[in-house]
Amino acid sequence: MNKKRDRLAVIYDILDIIRQHHNSMKLTPLLRSANLSSNSFSDYYSELISKELVKEIVDDGHKYVTLTDKGFKYLEKYKLISGFIEEFEL
Amino acid sequence: MFEPAIIITEIAFTLIATILCFLIFFKTKESYNLTKHDGIRYFRDAFLLFGISYILRFILELIFISGVAFDFIIPREMFGPLFILGVGYVSTVGLWYLIFSSIWKSFSRKSLMIVGHSTALVLSLISFFLHSHLIILYVQFILLIIGIVLIFTTGTKNKKLSQTKILYILTAFLWLINLFVIDKNGPHRMFGAWGIWIDTFFQIISIIVLFIIYHKILHWLK
Repeated sequence: MNKKRDRLAVIYDILDIIRQHHNSMKLTPLLRSANLSSNSFSDYYSELISKELVKEIVDDGHKYVTLTDKGFKYLEKYKLISGFIEEFEL
Repeated sequence: MFEPAIIITEIAFTLIATILCFLIFFKTKESYNLTKHDGIRYFRDAFLLFGISYILRFILELIFISGVAFDFIIPREMFGPLFILGVGYVSTVGLWYLIFSSIWKSFSRKSLMIVGHSTALVLSLISFFLHSHLIILYVQFILLIIGIVLIFTTGTKNKKLSQTKILYILTAFLWLINLFVIDKNGPHRMFGAWGIWIDTFFQIISIIVLFIIYHKILHWLK
């Protein structure tokens, strides 16, 4: 059933990795930690950017990924939302 | 015979049912904005459309009653079919969306949209031209049967009759009952004076079902 639920869980995992790295991470270590294929990671990363859950910042010529307020909100609400999805069989 | 109590009961019922539907819609807004989950989208849109349907249903009922209830007469011939068109379209899409919220993973969004909106359009146009809200009722009843079959065959991995599925089926079924009884001179007049009590009974059950759904949402999305 759970292609979409799995997707929500993967997004949670990626956001959680960034949070655990003091909310600032380069893309390559993030890709490694996310444990996804590069194609799959690219899809998820585009989705995270388009949903404004993460944003890119450039510091000293290096690109970093950080969580937005919405990203933090997602982490905070994820368990409740997935409980809601499961309860209502959405 | 017209009784003011009918109007008061209907206003109270419409208000409570509409408010509960809109509360369900607004309470799930943040979850949808964060996840863009298609199931949540269909679910909340279904209740938004049911809320609008209950308002349109009430206006349609006023049009039916106005011919016998008031000294002035709202021109039924003009407004009746227009509201039948609105009720038919909005409630059919709402019914579909409730079904889609459980089965969306098995179909593409495009095909669901085409099926949902085209059947709603055809049905509402037929009801409009035949001036009959009962056509909506009969076709939506068939759609409900199809929806139940789809939910149990292509929906979630839980194929059993869960409490949530019962609530979904009740929500749709009670909508049909509430649509059936709006014409106080309609087929259910065969119940005589009991008809009003039967209407009220189903209205109370409808509100209880909507309240249970809202309460379950509050449990997760405080």
